[in-house]
Amino acid sequence: MKKYETPLLNELEKGPWPSFVKELKKAAKTSEMANDEVGQLEKSFRDKRGYWKHGGIVGVLGYGGGVIGRYSSLPNEFPGVAHFHTVRINQPSGMFYKTDSLRTILDLWDEYGSGLTNMHGSTGDMVLLGCRTEALEPLFAEVTSRGWDLGGSGSALRTPACCVGKARCEWANIDAMDICNDLTQTYQDYVHRPAWPYKFKFKIAGCAVDCVASIARADCSIIGTWKGNIAVDQDVVKDYAKAGMNINAEIVGMCPTGCMSYDGKTLTIDDENCSRCMHCISKMTKALRPTGERGASILIGSKAPIVVGSLLSWVIVPFMKMEPPYTELKELAEKIWEWWDDNAKPRERIGEVIELKGMRSFLEAIGVPPQPQQVLAPRKDPFFFWKDEDLNGKK
Amino acid sequence: MEKDELKDKIFEFVQAAKGKKKLKEKDIIKGMAEKTGETPDNVKKAMREMIDIGRLMYSYGGGSSSVEIPSEEYLREKGLIK
Amino acid sequence: MAWLTEQEAKAKRKTDIGPPHYSKMLPPVISKNYGKWKYHEVFTPGTMVHVAESGDKVYTVRVASPRILATESIRAMLDIADKYCDGYIRWTTRNNVEFMTTREENVPLIKKAAEDAGYPAGGIGSGLSNMVHTQGWVHCHSAAADASGLVKAIMDEVYPYFTEKKLPAKTRLALACCVNMCGAVHCSDLAVVAIHRKVPEINHDLVKNMCEIPTTIGACPTRAISPDPAKKSVKINPDKCMYCGNCFTVCPPIDIHRPEEDGVAIVVGGKVGSLRKGPMFSKLAIPYIKNNPPRWPEVVSAVKNILETYANDARKHERIGEWIDRIGWESFFKKTGIEFTYQHIDDFTFARDTFRTSAAFKW
Repeated sequence: MKKYETPLLNELEKGPWPSFVKELKKAAKTSEMANDEVGQLEKSFRDKRGYWKHGGIVGVLGYGGGVIGRYSSLPNEFPGVAHFHTVRINQPSGMFYKTDSLRTILDLWDEYGSGLTNMHGSTGDMVLLGCRTEALEPLFAEVTSRGWDLGGSGSALRTPACCVGKARCEWANIDAMDICNDLTQTYQDYVHRPAWPYKFKFKIAGCAVDCVASIARADCSIIGTWKGNIAVDQDVVKDYAKAGMNINAEIVGMCPTGCMSYDGKTLTIDDENCSRCMHCISKMTKALRPTGERGASILIGSKAPIVVGSLLSWVIVPFMKMEPPYTELKELAEKIWEWWDDNAKPRERIGEVIELKGMRSFLEAIGVPPQPQQVLAPRKDPFFFWKDEDLNGKK
Repeated sequence: MEKDELKDKIFEFVQAAKGKKKLKEKDIIKGMAEKTGETPDNVKKAMREMIDIGRLMYSYGGGSSSVEIPSEEYLREKGLIK
Repeated sequence: MAWLTEQEAKAKRKTDIGPPHYSKMLPPVISKNYGKWKYHEVFTPGTMVHVAESGDKVYTVRVASPRILATESIRAMLDIADKYCDGYIRWTTRNNVEFMTTREENVPLIKKAAEDAGYPAGGIGSGLSNMVHTQGWVHCHSAAADASGLVKAIMDEVYPYFTEKKLPAKTRLALACCVNMCGAVHCSDLAVVAIHRKVPEINHDLVKNMCEIPTTIGACPTRAISPDPAKKSVKINPDKCMYCGNCFTVCPPIDIHRPEEDGVAIVVGGKVGSLRKGPMFSKLAIPYIKNNPPRWPEVVSAVKNILETYANDARKHERIGEWIDRIGWESFFKKTGIEFTYQHIDDFTFARDTFRTSAAFKW
């Protein structure tokens, strides 16, 4: 195996934070591919630029996603990374693993690839980093015969992701892991066979703390909420005060709706004015908990800046019950996809199409009525559309 | 229309677009349904069968996915030709 | 493991089975108390306990990872999980690893074992969690800077805020190696995003064969690209180009990489939770710092400066964006000593929402 001098990368083996260079070099002990990755990366650090070509056309037979082609632009100098494709393995919801189950993937990956991984990729898949084209089919057969499958890529439904949900969080208003798994299984075809103008992401968060960044990173954000009051255990409130919490400053004073008061003994909540932001509950988790009906708010459209600026998701359905098999959610999703597919140019995300075509056309197409929860404020300028049905008083 | 005939027509359609337009699944389904009078569902099924055996393939380039006729290199790699 | 022959592999090949069901992956205490958790308590930035209605407890040790992991390292983690956690392990959405156990006495043992393996405990509560990031030069064609290298250099410097030191509120760091932002950079408390600063150069001969002209024109957010019929290619209006590189994504012969001009910007004040002020976008703090591998000292000190100014000035529970909202951006630039430039004033799509429309401000 070629020995590379890596004076620049060596600098990144120092210091207390876990070193990715050490990881690369661990894999490089036994893998020519990982070794040439180290060599090429040292060159990148020297020249201040990457040496990878645009993704190419690779994949497993029948699928259009799950593998992202990656080729070095210096294949003669670094033959081990001439092919260095990414394989996305769909993670189990919540990213819990039984160790023997995960070992199976590791063993397969040492056999067929570079031994390098990302745990996990930004969308949520386990990412196997560095596979040769001819190894894709055998790896896929091994992986699927052992009960695992590829995730999404390209203009497809991307691998849905969720927070830890009910598995280990008292704040989960919905079964995020189950919804995530159900959507993933129901829409396998959309995950593996890119049929749309561009990518589409689901992320499911159990509450408004949003540990999966659903509101910023999902075309469809599903965020748990509730409709009832917040139950207060006054004895425990006293414990928090005794333990040094300044309840007026830290809780009452930071409530965005001013719906709380505390007289030194009793914490009072004007529930009708509560917007369910989760601040007080997250800071006094032993004393406060939601009660009553649980469900999700459905929001649409968030994405990163490309092309015309980043977007946060917009509320479309303020409250939806979330019981398996999640029929209402799926019917809504299918209507959303149909409208998007009919109206988008290539590489337009749903949020951009809604901006272009107008929120009203979108809401009408998916059958969602106007509700004040959908907006921060009504429009300010007196320019608006009147349709015949509005004039006839039908709407 | 017989399924095999439909498949041949789909193949011709994709071949005609080669180098001119990157076809998405929907372009093929819509285009062929209009051309042949077949239901979009039937076109989709036929197209998917062709993809499953490598007569067509999913491609990726320019930031989005499309459907194309596979290269010899691809077919060889998949063991579909010698 | 016995390997399949190619024929056997093909015969066993399945499609569209999806991931294994999560229920097969859950520790028994999690399965038993699923949906019945009562509260949790954070002991240290690396350890916490969740208590169920049943009285059952599950202790969690959260440890750092560099996201890039060799199989050998994951096996070492799995060995720890076998020894102390009945054979279960979990990853968080920010690439931390979580070891869960019902036995409190295992907590220090897990912590030590993970630290001995090189993965320190931390990341819970009011402090830093792991810095989410993208592929960078390790694996991406589009990177304007490396990702892992910058993250390593930054996290080495602010390390105590991960393992022990508190901040006013939880603080989410992120890094994207180009403006495609394969990570929640646009809504992070403090984030680094790599940028280009020069109009791309077009290899017209290659454009002819490799690119769809309408798609390439359509890819430009500022309408800087128009057809160049004579060359069967496109041309770029340098007065309109904002160097986003989206044309390069759809048309590789439009080369935007300039190693000596590329670098990073620093953005601040974003968050995703709806708590208190609601989700916020990150906004520009520093428009450009040059790439200076392997350890990017200028970026590291800029990040540290912002983080420490925030730590010293913000109120308890205030995220960076809430702190800046309260003190005002003019105070942010004053307190951090960061220079305010033309680049800070928006001239892209949502610019008018950012201009000041009040006569009240600070000096």
